[in-house]
Amino acid sequence: MFMKKRLMATVGVVAVIATACGSSTASTAPSASTAASGAPASGSPAGSAAASASANANLADQQLLKIDLTNEPPTLDPDKAQDSTSIEVLNQIQRGLVYFDKDLKIVPEMAQSYDVSPDSKTLTFHLKDGLQYSNGDPILAKDFVYSIKRTADPRTAAPYAYVLCEIAGSDKLLGSSTCNTTTPTPKTDADIEAALANFGVSAPDDKTVVVQLNTPAAYFLDVLALWIAVPVQEKWITSPNATEAENYVSSGPFMLKEWTHNSKLVIVPNPKWTAGPGPTLTEVDMSMLNDPATAQASYEAGDLDMVLTPAADLRRVKDDPVLGPQVVDQAQAGIGYYDYNTVKGPTANKDFRIALTEAIDKQNLIDTTWGGTGAVANSMVMPGMQGYQPDLNPYPYNLDDAKKHMATALAALGKTSCADFGKLPFGYNTGADHENRVAYMAQQWTKAFGCQFDQVGLEWKVFLKRRQAGDFIISRDAWGADYPHPNNQLAGIFTCGGGNNSSQYCNKDFDALIAQAAAEPDPTKQTALYNQAQTMMVGDAPVIFLRFVVARYEIKPYVTNYFGTPGDSQLPGDKFFETIQIAKH
Amino acid sequence: MKRYLVRRVLWIIPVLVAVSLITFFLMHAVPGGPWDQEKKLSPEVIARLNQIYGLDQPVYMQYLNWIGGILQGNLGPSYVFKDRTVNDIIAGGIPVTIQLGIQAFILAVLVGLPLGIVAALGHNRWPDYVATGLSVVWIATPSFVLAIILIIVFSVDLKWFPVAGWEGPQTWVLPTIALAAFPIAVIARYTRASMLEVTRKDYVRTAQSKGITGRAVVYRHMIRNALIPVVTIMGPILAFLVTGSFIVEHVFAVPGVGRYYLSAITTRDYPLLMATTLIYAFAVAVLNLVVDILYAYIDPRIRYS
Repeated sequence: MFMKKRLMATVGVVAVIATACGSSTASTAPSASTAASGAPASGSPAGSAAASASANANLADQQLLKIDLTNEPPTLDPDKAQDSTSIEVLNQIQRGLVYFDKDLKIVPEMAQSYDVSPDSKTLTFHLKDGLQYSNGDPILAKDFVYSIKRTADPRTAAPYAYVLCEIAGSDKLLGSSTCNTTTPTPKTDADIEAALANFGVSAPDDKTVVVQLNTPAAYFLDVLALWIAVPVQEKWITSPNATEAENYVSSGPFMLKEWTHNSKLVIVPNPKWTAGPGPTLTEVDMSMLNDPATAQASYEAGDLDMVLTPAADLRRVKDDPVLGPQVVDQAQAGIGYYDYNTVKGPTANKDFRIALTEAIDKQNLIDTTWGGTGAVANSMVMPGMQGYQPDLNPYPYNLDDAKKHMATALAALGKTSCADFGKLPFGYNTGADHENRVAYMAQQWTKAFGCQFDQVGLEWKVFLKRRQAGDFIISRDAWGADYPHPNNQLAGIFTCGGGNNSSQYCNKDFDALIAQAAAEPDPTKQTALYNQAQTMMVGDAPVIFLRFVVARYEIKPYVTNYFGTPGDSQLPGDKFFETIQIAKH
Repeated sequence: MKRYLVRRVLWIIPVLVAVSLITFFLMHAVPGGPWDQEKKLSPEVIARLNQIYGLDQPVYMQYLNWIGGILQGNLGPSYVFKDRTVNDIIAGGIPVTIQLGIQAFILAVLVGLPLGIVAALGHNRWPDYVATGLSVVWIATPSFVLAIILIIVFSVDLKWFPVAGWEGPQTWVLPTIALAAFPIAVIARYTRASMLEVTRKDYVRTAQSKGITGRAVVYRHMIRNALIPVVTIMGPILAFLVTGSFIVEHVFAVPGVGRYYLSAITTRDYPLLMATTLIYAFAVAVLNLVVDILYAYIDPRIRYS
């Protein structure tokens, strides 16, 4: 009897194992994403007729674009988004009063026209007729007002509220640190409501939006093109699970069709979109692949149509006979630079900083550690943007001059050699391929001056905390433009006490120039002021500028009519997927 | 036996409490918080976020609040995925991770056991060399490397399977193989060693001298006894399947809980981190208990009191 029990148990286990093996026989044809489910544009929007007329018999029957979103978007609530994955999706399914064109110039989108008051402080937008959300509701002026106020509302804790500091009444609402004023944020609901009522956005009627600024900010149209200023229905965003696909209300050329969390996101044309040409694509499938190597493999296997080339493959794909012709290098409005600690250690001395700067051959650094992609940067404002100064380079690569500056610095600091300062902490974040760059620079400086470094690689958030605390003498840094205007690249990073000022650079004259430039209504004079400010800052060498970002992508040859801009979130042309067409292949 | 079972089950609770305490306080001790990012948030926004999520309270208070939430079945909000609750995130990911784990386990047993038996029976001849060679390779290769190799060979070159994702049986194959490789090898090695040892036992020789045919000896006497040490290894194997799934899920973009576990640490998404840690602690504790019980059924010499 006992033996039988044991036998039964064993047989039972084996039986369970045997039967539970639901055979997963793989079918031979790896079907890429569910292409069959694509929703054909039923009531095609008025504009799409024009788009498809432009070409063609050359178009593929299936207008499906497959891309990788890399990550699950943290949120698709337009007022709360800050992540490039969220923004890439939001740029397709939500649009605002104005938007960018392929040259990153501001053009009307939901507004058919706008007036700027003589003092440049009041912007009046007139909405187009017949605008509707994807659910058929009309898009009203008060929806824009609601959305902007919601972004600014302290209770929303929106990360991008700071771009609204130029709106009148923002100092009473957004608080002293956010807007660099003296008024603290209101705490009670009553105070907040009062401040919101006085906030400078209003809708005098259903088709007019008025924005009141507290200073003539010529770049404010750029801010209104951002995702935080799109119209949002109060009844929608306050309903439960508003951002799930079945409840999502879209205002842009596309609408959210499916969002399988952590797995896949699908957008399809929005039949109610009338503000501009509609998409030729009938579906965009976005996977969430996390790992760059997996994304590259997916692209090579044909599961993706566009991909960002992983750092490890930069050279390989360029030299590959098949992939090489598919490589597209695109400049991004981003910059890599390293902070000097301007208040602590030997880097507080300006000659020391200049010496270090002149000892680095930036082109060689890019070729060695960045796979040759990227343009040398000697200042902050990126190419293609107002305020870009290509000739501003006070401290070019020059070892002899560098040594002279180092000698001056050492004399002033009472040391005979850089090694006398001990091991200088050189901080960077791990897991992002910075090791080579840090090693290159440390090695250069050791060779040139005998400096000793303690290369400190830390986990991301630990690194951020330590950098903020001023623990490092030199630390890795980077910046990506929020909008293509010099104010975004200079204020806040180089102004005294600026939120993103990690070098702790503080020059009151610079701050004054920035404030003056921001208020200057004449564009030519404004650019001149920003140039002056940047020249002053670069002359002080608070950081060493290294590289303007150039990202390398591979794009299948049948993906046509995309317009890459330096402001793209993740892929070329992802500011307007509605232009993309898939050719026959 | 029943008393043993009850005692073991009850012990899980203090284990989980201890795990939660250690995790919670370690988590808060690590520098960096959920709101630290390259483009710094303004102090007002940070203060407001801390207030909304209760992070402005003392740590022990936050722990008690969290325990209070747990007791009501509420795992809290996610700091990163602001539109979803941790309950939703976990509920979405757990079935996928469990499915992947079970598939890998079944594959590991179905392939590992016979591989070990064949190796033992073909001892020091070619079946043994092949099986042992494969096992050594699979044990030594990290799952990440194996995953990439599988992708390159079967997805990119041969195009038999999609590269990544979790949509339909074709996408299940490669992640299951990648996850099962190490367990297959370990089970094979243990089975082989155990079978070889059993071959030398007296009862086997007795059976053979009684005239029982080779196959019957193997099935009726050898395998069941050889399984005992193998069942012992199932505990760590299951633990591996649970934790090894992090890497496999990451590489193959499988929407399970494993990916969240890693990302929650780097993003300091405290509630999600606590939930995933507890789930894994619970899974390991329960699986070990199951293995111990199974052990008792297979080997009558084992008696729990």
